[in-house]
Amino acid sequence: MSLPKKLQEIVDDFASMSREEKLETLIAYAESFPPLPERFKDQRDNMEAVPECMTPVFLISEQEPNGGIIFYADIPPQSPTVRGLASILLNGLNGCTMEEIISVPADFYLPMNLAEAVSGQRLNGFMGVLAHMKHIAITSIKTR
Amino acid sequence: MSYVHPEYLVDTEWVASHVEDPNVRIIESDEDPLLYAIGHIPGAVQVDWFSTLQHPLRRDFLTKEQFEKVASEIGITNDTTVVFYGDKSNWFACYALWLFQYYGHNNVKIMNGGRLKWEKESRPLVKEVPSYKKTAYSAKEADKSIRAFRDQVLQQSNAKKPLVDVRSPKEYSGELLHMPNYPQEGATRGGHIPGAVSIPWATAVNEADSTFKSADELRAIYEGKGIKSDGEVIAYCRIGERSSLTWFVLKYLLGYPNVKNYDGSWTEWGNLVDAPIEK
Repeated sequence: MSLPKKLQEIVDDFASMSREEKLETLIAYAESFPPLPERFKDQRDNMEAVPECMTPVFLISEQEPNGGIIFYADIPPQSPTVRGLASILLNGLNGCTMEEIISVPADFYLPMNLAEAVSGQRLNGFMGVLAHMKHIAITSIKTR
Repeated sequence: MSYVHPEYLVDTEWVASHVEDPNVRIIESDEDPLLYAIGHIPGAVQVDWFSTLQHPLRRDFLTKEQFEKVASEIGITNDTTVVFYGDKSNWFACYALWLFQYYGHNNVKIMNGGRLKWEKESRPLVKEVPSYKKTAYSAKEADKSIRAFRDQVLQQSNAKKPLVDVRSPKEYSGELLHMPNYPQEGATRGGHIPGAVSIPWATAVNEADSTFKSADELRAIYEGKGIKSDGEVIAYCRIGERSSLTWFVLKYLLGYPNVKNYDGSWTEWGNLVDAPIEK
């Protein structure tokens, strides 16, 4: 099963980076983490919590007319590592269809060798964010 | 009353006025290691609890020689005043301070309130990573009087001497194997070490600005649970980071003479064959 194109590119990029480059790239992802759009600011009750993360992480999605899903996340700036990791998933999967998102293998990130840059606990959080994105996608399929 | 050893604590104003002091080194130690890159106190260097302070292979800290190399690279001498600060109410700042003490660097301080207070006061944060001239640093032999190993913890438990479990109430009761909202970190059993009393670490700090509570408040909290200054006290949590904060409070703010941090903590005890557990 192949990964969505954008996510595959990110995986390949990380796979070729040194530890320092991985950290710098994660910081860049963290710094470009998009703020939660105003329209979701009072939607906390409708957002999906990701309890696997070390930080309060909340996800919400919107569906595009062509069937693609756009995810938005709310993560405090005091947690740049989590912001960076979530940003990878948002960049890699936003605009994908529900089926594409659900098909992403849980261990897709192994070739990225992230463990040399971030602790295992944070990788649990990373997997948690993906799992909840899939959950949102599945829920969307059921309700469409 | 005031803190017994107030010299181990400085406020943000003191740090702000010493950022260029060549006899002072400011060290950021965070739970989230990317925070330093996003912005840190001018002149501050970073030590990461995992990638800097842990032994690269074994579950242990750096060796004495490896520690000397780290100290040399951040340009400190045996006389430098080292001030630690970090996120999460200084958990990992206390952890780093504890390890520096372990290798005999006694001139150490915590910046009260940590990153949170510094940020709330809108003090400057910079991205520029400073470099300092390498020094010749010679560490002392590890001071095992501040570190507890599992056999000592078992003896402490069997002898019904004071053990402080600083994890959340649900980790203490065994309902959770990890902090609320945190992932499981590999303990196969839940509960606490027999005889340990539950005093979550967070009871020692003011939530609003991460500063430590007053000496009177702290004394009431710990003595109220039977943790007194006579005799040896061992604190533990999950990997030894939250209990470093409690260790700092008991040892320096309340002046208990004999306090140890059990860094193996629950990720060791909860996996240890034949270890007694209470729920």
